[in-house]
Amino acid sequence: MRGVNALSASLESPRQVGTPAFADVVAEHLDAVYRYLVYLTGDRTAAEDLTAETFEKAFRSWRRFDPRRGAPRTWLCRIAHSAAIDWFRAEARRQRREETYVRDAALLEESVFADGLSPGLEAALRTLTPAEREVVALRVLLELDGPSAARVLGITTTAVSTRLSRALKRLEEAMADVGA
Amino acid sequence: MSALDGMGAERLEALLRGEEPRTQAEERRAALLTELRGGALNAPESLRRRVLAAAPAARRSYGFRRPPRRLVLVVVPLALAGAVSAAIVHGIVGSGSPAPTSMAGNLARQAPGVFGLQSLKQPAHGSASKRETIPSAANDATAAAPERELAPLVSGRLVHEDATLAVRVQDNSALTSATSQATKIVGALGGWAQSVHYETAHDGSGSAYLDLRVPVGNVKKAVAQLGALGSLQNENISTKDLEQTVTRQSNRIASLRRTIAAYEKALQDPTLPEAQRVILQVRLANAKRSLTQLRHARTGTISSGETANVSLTLTTKQAAAAVPHKRGRLGRMLHGAVGFLGLEGIVVLYALVVLSPILVVGGLAWAVLRERRRREEQRLLAA
Repeated sequence: MRGVNALSASLESPRQVGTPAFADVVAEHLDAVYRYLVYLTGDRTAAEDLTAETFEKAFRSWRRFDPRRGAPRTWLCRIAHSAAIDWFRAEARRQRREETYVRDAALLEESVFADGLSPGLEAALRTLTPAEREVVALRVLLELDGPSAARVLGITTTAVSTRLSRALKRLEEAMADVGA
Repeated sequence: MSALDGMGAERLEALLRGEEPRTQAEERRAALLTELRGGALNAPESLRRRVLAAAPAARRSYGFRRPPRRLVLVVVPLALAGAVSAAIVHGIVGSGSPAPTSMAGNLARQAPGVFGLQSLKQPAHGSASKRETIPSAANDATAAAPERELAPLVSGRLVHEDATLAVRVQDNSALTSATSQATKIVGALGGWAQSVHYETAHDGSGSAYLDLRVPVGNVKKAVAQLGALGSLQNENISTKDLEQTVTRQSNRIASLRRTIAAYEKALQDPTLPEAQRVILQVRLANAKRSLTQLRHARTGTISSGETANVSLTLTTKQAAAAVPHKRGRLGRMLHGAVGFLGLEGIVVLYALVVLSPILVVGGLAWAVLRERRRREEQRLLAA
């Protein structure tokens, strides 16, 4: 708790008017960032590490955060996206090195994406690519609007809409296949 | 039509906002969204503690911080203010004493090809040189050329002479007349006009530049007669001794002749090995070529000693009157400041010209790297 107190004491006073305290940001957005990273990576353990890394980076650059340029959630998701890309890169290297890919095994185990999802939806989510799961997480779970999601993904709003539509359609098809 | 499954993007957005579905397909989609949102997934408490504990530690790390963009709004005006201040200071410092100006200098600016080069010409090493300058006439009245006793320019030696004269005439008709008269004068003295450049303006000002050739023996007469065409403003005569040059060239020619004779004699020897023969033949050819060149050079030197170059600039009063411009202290300050600003602009422009290729290459490299990263990212997330 000492760390929590120190953080609160050091960051409770906002840098400028309209900027929330970092402790409040952590409390409000930690779950959202974690869920986003779980969807993106399909690996809860990796998502935990990446969430911690995301908030560490966010804390380092907290002084530069300008709420007028975007909501804290969008800003955090951008950092998380960048951290996840590095993770994917490292995983790809590891996969090439070890040939066997442990993450696939993890995906086949118990519920990964959320507790309480039907097995069909869990299975259907596993069939999506990380890019598709990412857009679902941003638009559906985190409820970011189109422009914010586009900013996180580095693509246009139209591309976000197309990717989301395709992902949801694939989810429906996959669920239908599982049901059949 | 961004949606691929028949459902429009607007309807998908409406469902995401929680609006009621209208069709069966929308109902299925809404149910899917509800189920996705219904899944419970919160960050473990251990992660929450880890994040909160790691944050203060991260604060102590010192990395490079990119300067804020707003800093540009401060730095650029500051740099501009610094440049202007430096120019003003330079103008104030430089306005203390009036810049030394002379009619000769002004005229030199008017016709740099005439005065700018010749007045800076230094005598060549090993040659004697003599220069006489008569400063501008104080009185602009159309008086006859002052009586001058020039030192003897030719004293039995081969010399080359250059003379520059600046003469002011009353108006454009006088300018036309003087130009015509000048060519006649040199023609009468055995010379000719190499080139004549004549121009007049609507405001009555005009100038003419004549590049004349006069036999060396008649330079004195030519200068005197040309100076009498109007009010003499400036006269500059320089003499360069060519005797030593010709002597040096003659000695070198004689030496080459001896060398050629020696080569030819050696080549007549039947016992000479073939390899050496070839070498000697090459050397002989080179020596003959050098001899020819030297002969041409000596001819040119002698020719230049036979004729003198006389550069005559004729200007009307109005054109000449526009040149001298006395500035006050404030004017000098402003002039100095503007000149300094121009210099700063040149430096900045030069820096831009030098740096722009580097910046372009850097920008291209950055764009290529960024595109590569984007493609790699797409590939990673599409797997």
